[in-house]
Amino acid sequence: MITKSHVLHVASLACLELSEDDLQEFTVQFNSILSYFDELSEITERLEKDEVQFNNLRADEVLPSLSQEEALSNAPRTEDGYFKGPRIL
Amino acid sequence: MSHVERVEEILTLITKSNLNAYITVDPVGAREQAERADSGELDGKLAGVPVAVKDAISTKGLRTTCASRMLENYVPVYDAFVVKRLREEGAIILGKTNMDEFSMGTSTETSYFGSCRNPWDISRVPGGSSGGSAAALASFEADMALGSDTGGSIRCPASFCGIVGLKPTYGRVSRFGLISYGNSLEQIGPMARTVQECALLFEVLAGYDPRDNTCSDIPVPSYSKQLDRELNGLKIGIPKEFFGEGMDPDVERAVWDSISIFENMGVSYEEIDLPHLKYSLSAYYVQAMCEASSNLARFCGIIYGYRVQKDHDWHTTFSQNRSIGFGKEVKRRILLGTYALSAGYYDKYYIKALAARSLIRNDFQRAFKHVDAMVAPTMPYVAFRIGEKVDDPLSLYLVDINTVPINIANVPSLSVPCGFKNGLPIGMQIIGDLFDESLLFNIAYQFEQCTNFNKYSKAQA
Repeated sequence: MITKSHVLHVASLACLELSEDDLQEFTVQFNSILSYFDELSEITERLEKDEVQFNNLRADEVLPSLSQEEALSNAPRTEDGYFKGPRIL
Repeated sequence: MSHVERVEEILTLITKSNLNAYITVDPVGAREQAERADSGELDGKLAGVPVAVKDAISTKGLRTTCASRMLENYVPVYDAFVVKRLREEGAIILGKTNMDEFSMGTSTETSYFGSCRNPWDISRVPGGSSGGSAAALASFEADMALGSDTGGSIRCPASFCGIVGLKPTYGRVSRFGLISYGNSLEQIGPMARTVQECALLFEVLAGYDPRDNTCSDIPVPSYSKQLDRELNGLKIGIPKEFFGEGMDPDVERAVWDSISIFENMGVSYEEIDLPHLKYSLSAYYVQAMCEASSNLARFCGIIYGYRVQKDHDWHTTFSQNRSIGFGKEVKRRILLGTYALSAGYYDKYYIKALAARSLIRNDFQRAFKHVDAMVAPTMPYVAFRIGEKVDDPLSLYLVDINTVPINIANVPSLSVPCGFKNGLPIGMQIIGDLFDESLLFNIAYQFEQCTNFNKYSKAQA
């Protein structure tokens, strides 16, 4: 059984703030969705290894990258060529 | 008609349209490129072809929103690999098409920019998440389009809008520049009005890209030149799990009628079992949500994306940016994914989902030892009404019952029109073994040639 406090805990882990309405709605929905997922517990086979489809790595070479101007072009706030985040202290 | 004339015709159609198929249109870029095509400056397989691009795929200098408030003002500084390929082959990029926010949906109703509508009946959804691309094609607001398919997002709208769409083999097309949702499941793929055009577009998209480590370097065949082979002697499998509970009997009948048409071409069929398919939806949603919770962690509003005016501490600022920037379905999936990955639940959900995925993949690989391809309904029914399913997320997830197993198994699947119900298109998917897209296009082309279900193939002829 998922309670509001579970949902609030997960929301904090995921950096999301929820309105009271969303919290109420998600709590009800998560119970029905997660109980649907419970069918997976029937599976007894163990996963032999973590199967990835391909891992086609390129050579580790330095290639051209974005300019500082390009990298900053979508930032909501910048200062002196840096991204500007919230204050720490 | 010249390329400039065709582009002008499309731009007028888009302006007058009530479908909301596009989020951003690039009239200046499209006209410039059309003029270049008319003056003979462009060569390449798609020289002068007007193409629409799903708004989840990065286009340098052209706003790319993923249908989210989070990226409302985001302008990529680089092209996705597939967009670079379109430009190299002379295509005209018309603009960016509407979609479910961050590709999370089956109806294109979760877009921050409003629902997209189905051209066959504007009270109905076009399918999703690549709904804008399918609606644009069906209404001639584009001549080819790109979509992406994580759990059916190309095939569902192709089915609902009566067009052709391919979910390629995982690794066939580079994901570089695709805004990730469920990165181990999704592929960019071609959408078009006819099989021949879809095959031609796929030739351009497929191929090795060193910037996607899951991208294969297997050579790309000339898909559009291998359509004429006769189908005589082929064997198709009919997986009975795809004809399960909740399927509209009229959709089922249309697919069985299509199987009879294949029989007349000398194709044999047998019913087959894929016993672990019953776990597909759970395995898909657990894995996709877990990947989403990780992939969407990058959207904190500092480097790009929505940012609130007033700063607080880091955690509060991030949380406020994300709470305002993301819509409800995106939050729902991030939260469920975070829950399934959190301490104590990882083994119960994520590890079990990976185990189920491995079993389902083995089911398909076993089956392809006995059959050349499989045929099944793409969607359990025709397009539903806008608003019909928005209040019950679980019921909307269950609509993906026939599309998600394909992504889980990494195999390719091509959706083609195969009938109508009350004037609405029905779609059939032709499913192939890994990297066997060439056979799927061949089968679909032969089917299209001897049937009248693809209204667009005749309209253009």
